[in-house]
Amino acid sequence: MNENLLKLEQVTYTSINHDPLNDVSFSLARGENLVLFGPENSGIETVLMMVLDLDETYEGSILYKNMNIKELDYVGKHNYKKEIGFVHGVYGLISNMSVEDNISLPLEYHSRMSENEIKKHVSRLIYELNLDYCKKFRPVDLSSSEMLRTSYARAIAMDPELLLIQHPSEGQSPLNIQSFIENLKERADRDDRSVVIVTYEPEKFIDFSDHFIMIFSGRVVFDGTRNEFLDSDNRYLQQYKSGSSLGPMAIL
Amino acid sequence: MEVFYTIPVSIGKKALGIWAGIRDFGNYVKSIGLSFKSLRYLRFRSLYSTVINQTRFTGIDALNFVVLIALIIGATVIIQAITNLPKFGTEGFIGNVLVIIVARELGPLITALIVISRSGSAIAAEISTQKQNREILSMEIMGIDTRLYIVFPRIIASILAILSLIIIFDLTAFIGGYVIARTTVYIAPETFLQTVLDAFSLKDLLATFIKSLIYGILVPLICCYYGFKPRSKFEVPIYVSRAVIRTLFTIIVVNVIISVLFYF
Repeated sequence: MNENLLKLEQVTYTSINHDPLNDVSFSLARGENLVLFGPENSGIETVLMMVLDLDETYEGSILYKNMNIKELDYVGKHNYKKEIGFVHGVYGLISNMSVEDNISLPLEYHSRMSENEIKKHVSRLIYELNLDYCKKFRPVDLSSSEMLRTSYARAIAMDPELLLIQHPSEGQSPLNIQSFIENLKERADRDDRSVVIVTYEPEKFIDFSDHFIMIFSGRVVFDGTRNEFLDSDNRYLQQYKSGSSLGPMAIL
Repeated sequence: MEVFYTIPVSIGKKALGIWAGIRDFGNYVKSIGLSFKSLRYLRFRSLYSTVINQTRFTGIDALNFVVLIALIIGATVIIQAITNLPKFGTEGFIGNVLVIIVARELGPLITALIVISRSGSAIAAEISTQKQNREILSMEIMGIDTRLYIVFPRIIASILAILSLIIIFDLTAFIGGYVIARTTVYIAPETFLQTVLDAFSLKDLLATFIKSLIYGILVPLICCYYGFKPRSKFEVPIYVSRAVIRTLFTIIVVNVIISVLFYF
C-alpha cells in the first residue's frame, strides 16, 4: 500500500450543534477505500464535516498528503477542495441548473479544459451513469436515483484523489443505481484513487473496501480489515450487525 | 421611575444591535474582498451565464414596468410644471425643473426601488433557498468561492441593468411624458427640447452614473448578505423582508448623500 493520503490524529471536538468526537485517529493510504459507519449521532457525520474542512474548531490534526488542512492558507484550501470529491447525502444539486450543467460546474470553474473538452467529458460521464435521457432535466424533475447519479458524476468530474460519499444507498432502489455501483466499483479498484463511504449499511459495501471503521459516541470502537469486519467478535460490531438493543451501545 | 431606567437600556441595546449588524456586514464585505484573491484561479466562463441571466431578469424583464412608471411620472411632472410655473412667472425654467426632479432624483431613485422590489427580493429568496437545499454548501465543498461565484456576477449584472434602466427611465419620462402631457397642455416640442438640453449639465450625467454604480453594487450586496443569513426554512421570509426594507432604506440615504455632495 502507498503513503498516507488522509490521516486523523487525536481529533477531539465538542459542540452543541454537532455530535462530539473523542480522540479519533485513523489513516487512509492512497488507493485504499474506507467504510465509515456507526449509528445515528455516533459522530460519523462530524468526521466527514472535519475532513471537508467545514469546521476548524477541533483539537488534534487532519493531514491530507501530510499537510495539516487547518494550517492551509486561502489558496491551499482552494486547492485541497479541488482535489476532493463529495457526494452529499441530500445530493446538493444546484436547482436552477440542468443535470448536464450541474456536472459541468466544477470543470467550468476549476479546469483548464476547453468548452469542447468539457462537453465531451461530461457526455462520457452522462453515458456511463445512464443519465442521457434526463441530461436536460433540472433537479426538481429527477428521481432520487437520478439525483444520486448526477451528484456522483459531478463529484468525480475532476477525477479527485479522494472521494467521500455520504449515505449513498439509503432510500435507493438497488436496480436504479446499478450504473452508479458499477462506476464506483471501477473507481474503488484503482490504485491511485481512494473512496470513503459514510453509511449506516456497511455490509452493502463489503466488495468495495478492505478497511472498516465503526464510531460510537465520538470514539472509534472498531478499526479493521474486511475479514475482521466479517469475523470479529467485537461487541459493538456484533450489536450493530445484529441490530439488537442489547449490548454495549445504549440506543435511544 | 422605572421608565427612566428601561428606556435608555432598550435604546442602548438597540444601538449595540445595530452596531453588531454593521460590523457583521463589514466582515461580509471584507470576506468578499478576500475572495478576490482567488480571481486568478477562477475561469470567468463559469460566471457568464449568471451575469447574462441576472442582467436579463433585472434589466430586460423590468423594462415594461420601468417604462410605464416613467411615463406616468414624466407626464405628471410635466403637466404640473407647465400649468404651475407660469403662475410664478418662471415658465422658462421648465427644463430645469424636469432635470432636477426627474433626472437627478426620481429617475435613479424610482429605478432603484423597482430593482430592489423585483430583483433584490428575488436574489435574497433564491440564495436563502439554495442555502436550505445545501446547494451553497455543495459549492463550497467543491472549492467554489460562493462569495465570488454568487455575489460578484450579480453586482456586474446589477450595475449594467440599473445604469441602462435609469437612462431609459429618464428618456421615457422626458419624451413619453411630453407626448402624454400634450393631450392636456401645449408646449412647442423645440422649446421643450431646448429647455431640457440647456438645463442638463455634465455634472448631472456624472451624478447619474455614480448613482447607478453605487446602487448596482449595494442592491445585490445587501440582498445577498441577507440571503446567506437564514439558518432554517422558517427564517427565509424574515430575511427576505429584511433584505428589501434595509436595501430600500440604504438606497434612500445614499441618494440623499450623493445629491448633497453633488449639488449642495
